[in-house]
Amino acid sequence: MLNAIRVFCLFIFATVFHWAFASLFARWGISANMILVFVAAFCALLKPSLAYSISFLCGLFLDFFSAKLFGNNAFTFTVCACLICNIVDRFDFDELFPQMVAVFGLSWLAGLLNTLLVAVFASSSAWPGFGSMMGGAILNAIFAPWVFWITRKIVGSSSLRRQG
Amino acid sequence: MQTTKYKKKLYTPIESWRRRWLLPSCFLLVSFLLMILPLEGLVSSIKAVLSYVFIPQVRVAHSAVEYGQSVSDTVRELLQAHHENQQLKQEIETTKLLSAQATEVFAENARLTQLLKLQFSEPWKGVWAKVAYREPTRWNTIILDKGTADGIRERSAVIAIENGQEGLAGVVVEATETTAKVLLVRDEEFSAAVRLESGEEGLLIGNGPRPVQIKYIPLLTQVHKGDKVYTSASSSVFPSGILVGEVNGIYEEENSQTALTINVTPHIRAAAVKEVFVILEEGTKQ
Repeated sequence: MLNAIRVFCLFIFATVFHWAFASLFARWGISANMILVFVAAFCALLKPSLAYSISFLCGLFLDFFSAKLFGNNAFTFTVCACLICNIVDRFDFDELFPQMVAVFGLSWLAGLLNTLLVAVFASSSAWPGFGSMMGGAILNAIFAPWVFWITRKIVGSSSLRRQG
Repeated sequence: MQTTKYKKKLYTPIESWRRRWLLPSCFLLVSFLLMILPLEGLVSSIKAVLSYVFIPQVRVAHSAVEYGQSVSDTVRELLQAHHENQQLKQEIETTKLLSAQATEVFAENARLTQLLKLQFSEPWKGVWAKVAYREPTRWNTIILDKGTADGIRERSAVIAIENGQEGLAGVVVEATETTAKVLLVRDEEFSAAVRLESGEEGLLIGNGPRPVQIKYIPLLTQVHKGDKVYTSASSSVFPSGILVGEVNGIYEEENSQTALTINVTPHIRAAAVKEVFVILEEGTKQ
């Protein structure tokens, strides 16, 4: 029961933070994609099966607000989750630097993949521009340590946690 | 001696592959199917089901954000309240005078319009709404915090105010009971019938990150940089006379060379849209 509450809290945190940063702190076309940072933290800290499920759900949450295509964010986040879950054993995600580098790279991967999917399936352009992408990726990397810290605090040493 | 709490199980290669890839493969397959299916029908039903999960969550998130925002706003507003109060009192007096004049002019206009048997143009009726959400990667789509419960319908025109003047912001493309999705002028799927100051009409088309363009303007039309562009009376969606933007470039169309293409700078910048006025159709809730 406690674990279910923890998972629910994580999902609520991810969506509320994402909402706050998308609506309050977006300036000059640059905005942090907090939900992606949370997905990275989930995949680094939670059991893979749980991480994949929450990542997919987070993707659906973003797709819910998309006007042209449904499922692209779910696909992108699942790919990102696969990537992190498979490299997590090779990097020490307790350190700040790997967290920031992983999130920076993931932001670019997600942005490019999303643009590609929208171009292929909706014949439309979702490319926000190099400046916005770079700015967003840097912001995501800056917030990554805080998000990892919050996720670690909520997960604690429960059975939700990935066994290293 | 210290013992490890968890022992790693040993799996066969097939089991290991299945544990590692089965779940993400299923999710990838589901999301791929969602992408290739048309947005109506099944996807629309899935969205409707998801709305029961996500809408309450979004409302909580939106309230939390609004509360956080209101704290700093309240402090700032308190500091400015007295000065603003004096200013607003003066503005109210001026507005009362203008309103009285406008009523006269409006009545006269109605009478003359009736005499000339023209279609009478009704004053705009609508609701103010706040931008509740915008996608980080798609700045040309916004979600409003009001929906069909407030009378908003699909294809409702949306205007905003920038630098003290109202201008066209976009059009509602999807509305739920409590939210509405708006396509802004710059979006590639946006189009509107517009007219130039000279009276020529054309079709305004959003162009994503590239300049917004007006197509089908006759070749010899007198048009200059800085000319204002307004919505046309021939538009079935937008009321006539809303400022759209101003001309910033004029080109001959490459293919036909019988028409001009005009680049337009929208009056309302996508990033500046915070509060909007949604124009409602007659008979809907105000």
